[in-house]
Amino acid sequence: MWFKLDYLTIYEHYIYITIILQLSKNQIKMVNRMKINPQRCVGCALCLPYCPEGAITMSREKKAVINRDKCIECAVCYNSSVCPVDAFEIEKLEYPRSVREVFATVYKTHGQTNVPGRGTEEMKTNDVTGRFKLGEIGFSVDMGRPGVGVDLVDAEKVTMALAKLGVEFEPENPITFLMKDVKTGELKEEVKGERVHSCIPEFKTKIERMSEILDALKEVSQKINSVFSLGCCIKLNPDGSIPEFVLQTLKEKNISYYPDAKTNIGLGRPLAE
Amino acid sequence: MTHTLHRAGTVESLKTDYVILVMPAQGFNNEGAAPKMRGALEIILNHNPVSFGDMRTGNYFRKGMKQILENTQDNSICHGVFTNRKDLEECLTELKQANLGMSVVATGLIDDVHESAKKVGLTPHSMNLSLGVWGKKELLPEQDVLDITTMCGHHCVSPLLVKKLANEVKKDKICIEEAARTLAKQCVCGVVNPIRTERILEKIIEK
Repeated sequence: MWFKLDYLTIYEHYIYITIILQLSKNQIKMVNRMKINPQRCVGCALCLPYCPEGAITMSREKKAVINRDKCIECAVCYNSSVCPVDAFEIEKLEYPRSVREVFATVYKTHGQTNVPGRGTEEMKTNDVTGRFKLGEIGFSVDMGRPGVGVDLVDAEKVTMALAKLGVEFEPENPITFLMKDVKTGELKEEVKGERVHSCIPEFKTKIERMSEILDALKEVSQKINSVFSLGCCIKLNPDGSIPEFVLQTLKEKNISYYPDAKTNIGLGRPLAE
Repeated sequence: MTHTLHRAGTVESLKTDYVILVMPAQGFNNEGAAPKMRGALEIILNHNPVSFGDMRTGNYFRKGMKQILENTQDNSICHGVFTNRKDLEECLTELKQANLGMSVVATGLIDDVHESAKKVGLTPHSMNLSLGVWGKKELLPEQDVLDITTMCGHHCVSPLLVKKLANEVKKDKICIEEAARTLAKQCVCGVVNPIRTERILEKIIEK
């Protein structure tokens, strides 16, 4: 039962705290990876469409196989329970491939943040943490999303472009742990061959810098073989309205925002100063 | 983590899609938060959610109500999905009255959410805006498919599965409700809206 992904145990907490702490030390030892047991697989192909990356195909022997390059270790195939003969198995996975699972598995809690998922609390708890203040703006560059996935070499192009502007990456975000140098945004050599479902470089800056940040992101977006979904976090005016500077800058840059958004409605306590 | 941001769709479609998220702030008010998170879930359940879940346990379709309620933790992140503003507003009202001290985030059409918040006496504090998808957009699937898959911010809902299930509905192999529930089940957090999914599947099938 230790390796059953939807079963939370004390052991699991220990593993994930260990993973993140070890990320900075390049010594990840024990995490899990998906495998299809060819002896068990009956070739029904039911599992194929469940993979968000399309990484499961049928072999010439009419067995389902996982393309290891495309697989981002999200375990959606396993968790779907679609296999009629339980052919999916989990085996131990070593660093650096283990970073794929760290960025893909929703149930997992990151050791440093105690937050499940691949990012941070960002504005969701801003009423309590005061992470973003009036006059500041936070950006989340959700790389590989929606559903494309991203090679970490492409993620690095973005982090390096941002680092050139002197942004300070969110220290609690898992991608920051993979940086060799947060001042340059360069990732550690050994992880550059990996591909992840999504990773989210996060940072905040003075609102006046919004324009140059957007320009840099636009430029680097044309150099990557993937996509990113861009989000920005702001503290609202005391009357609940969006700061005019933000709206004006987006208008000047001809950047539209989705009609739907996340709004922290201010019920958290104690309220941040 | 931005899992209820970037939900793609038309304004008309998004008018049936409102998500409430409740969570403690780690290092601030997380100690002893588990019963408050259960309280938040119980409030969500009072207002006709079409899906709900806890990131620590899973979604309703996979785990069932009892298991989710009984396993809230100090770092739970709970969600409820609503199809109309009335349910959203009544849920916000009860959350306000309960004064749990947990942060509450409402995802939905900006004007609607802000009007609803003000109507129940709340002033929006912070926002997370989606500035859309940048980069090599030719890698993306069709827009209708994205309108479903982007409801799961962790992208546990596969575009291939959307197409397969739409095809099965078209061939009368399964009903549209079952297809939508199967898709919603893949989203661990429980933030995929199965009712909205049905409507989008109808559009895909018509094409």
